[in-house]
Amino acid sequence: MAKETKDYKKDFLHQGFDATETAYDQRGFHLEVVLDVNQVRKFAQTAYELGFYLVFVTGFHVRPDEGHDKGNSGLEVVYQFARYDQLYRIKACVSVPNSLEVPSISDIYQGADWHERETRDLYGVVFDGHPNLKPLLLAEEDVDFHPLLKEEANLKSLHEVSWSSEPPKAVKGEAEAESGQ
Amino acid sequence: MLESEYQEHQQNRFFLNMGPQHPSTHGVLLIVLEMEGEYVLDPQPVLGFIHRMHEKMGESRPCQAFMPNTARMDYVCALPYNHGYVSLIERKAGIEVPKRAEYIRVITSELNRIASHLLWLGAYLLDLGAFTPILYGFDDREHILDILESITGSRLTYCYYRFGGVYQDIDDKFIEATRAFVKRMRKRYAIYEKLVTKNIIFIKRTENIGIVSPDMALRYGMTGPNLRGSGIAYDVRKNEPYSVYPEFDFEIPVGEQGDCLDRYMVRIREIEQSLRIIEQALDRLPEGPVRSKVPKNIKLTPGDCNFAVEAARGELSYYLVGDGTSTPYRLKVRVPSYSNLSCLPELGRGILLPDLVSILGSFDLVIPEIDR
Repeated sequence: MAKETKDYKKDFLHQGFDATETAYDQRGFHLEVVLDVNQVRKFAQTAYELGFYLVFVTGFHVRPDEGHDKGNSGLEVVYQFARYDQLYRIKACVSVPNSLEVPSISDIYQGADWHERETRDLYGVVFDGHPNLKPLLLAEEDVDFHPLLKEEANLKSLHEVSWSSEPPKAVKGEAEAESGQ
Repeated sequence: MLESEYQEHQQNRFFLNMGPQHPSTHGVLLIVLEMEGEYVLDPQPVLGFIHRMHEKMGESRPCQAFMPNTARMDYVCALPYNHGYVSLIERKAGIEVPKRAEYIRVITSELNRIASHLLWLGAYLLDLGAFTPILYGFDDREHILDILESITGSRLTYCYYRFGGVYQDIDDKFIEATRAFVKRMRKRYAIYEKLVTKNIIFIKRTENIGIVSPDMALRYGMTGPNLRGSGIAYDVRKNEPYSVYPEFDFEIPVGEQGDCLDRYMVRIREIEQSLRIIEQALDRLPEGPVRSKVPKNIKLTPGDCNFAVEAARGELSYYLVGDGTSTPYRLKVRVPSYSNLSCLPELGRGILLPDLVSILGSFDLVIPEIDR
């Protein structure tokens, strides 16, 4: 079925979002958008106006960066959007600040309501502006229990779990040293 | 409204617990209803009664060991869940799958989809007070379970697909039985049509009830037959072709206005499309191996990866982040019923309680899938 395909990268770049094309065959989505925490609502609004639907919202836990980039909790919120009329998937991620607060998009995409409650259950991210942020999948007394947070020993840095074509210099040096041995 | 009138209204309001053991919630789902007389003011689903934290299990064992879990989320239509997971790991690790294996996957997945729709048909009519259709539905479904049991070894929670292929090849007995089933199922439409589709009581209970508009479907991220009932022809098998689906000629049935009757019609017509796919796949079944050589210890390279398939209830999406070991660093399962049900508080506002039962049934919910 030949459907008209449109590339939405420009639409998002035009709105000031950090959007990069990704290899669909490898990763299963076309566009990766890295959001700043105060861009989340604007991004959701833009996606809604362009006709995207929300696939899921979830969390992601990595080792917090040390030194530079203060205010980083190591948590990320990952959104996925797709379209009904053509094949186009977007992954959007936002780094959660130390306050653990991320603006809620549940008034733009009502479907995000449950996904955000689930992410709060499993990771403890607080969605600012959510009308009813009670435990959904977990029991009500487990309000401070977040099962998907990883233990310190199992945590990996973000660059260890991303496709990144150029790893940070220090690590690159180590890798070269190791391969030289 | 006068203050006294308002107070009187407030007095007529009460809360009603529908579930967690209510027959029409199809599982352990609780819906707390705020009622005024026979009218529902605010239905709030309460989830998590059978939450098993499948995602944590996925992150704490090698990727092969998670295979049986995939069949235990949506136990009514487990093979597409198998399919999504093996395809995800195959995409991540770059594993080639023999063509014959893909054909077998499509045939078995479609059989499973029909079984799921038949069970739904019976259960939905049972919700609406008709007892006979479930007996017909179970009769037909039994044939599929027998066919699938002969090659997968189980009747419900299948674990048949493997990374790089399927567990074992299908035999002539399977092909014969499947062809016989396709022939039989086509004859059964007339019965279902007479029994259900043209039944005036059924039409009165479903027509113009629970209308989901396309915009509402988009805001809630609805997928599957529930979305197609609203007239949007979105099916992952066509929109994001995976496996060998592009090689088959089939249509995406859609409804017109998105009421319960449309959702019913979409599923009934989907059975025919699945039969068409099975027939074509059997006709063109290529020869060859059914499993490629795959290393015992599959290393998942660092980075994320997503794979979506069409399950019987809608779009199933696996999202995985690898870290170089064979255990996924993060595994997210996006299940269709979760998003489909989330529109209930909006859809069920101000309707009659019997209509809520009709809407819930038409959504084809599987609770273990929602709770995961």
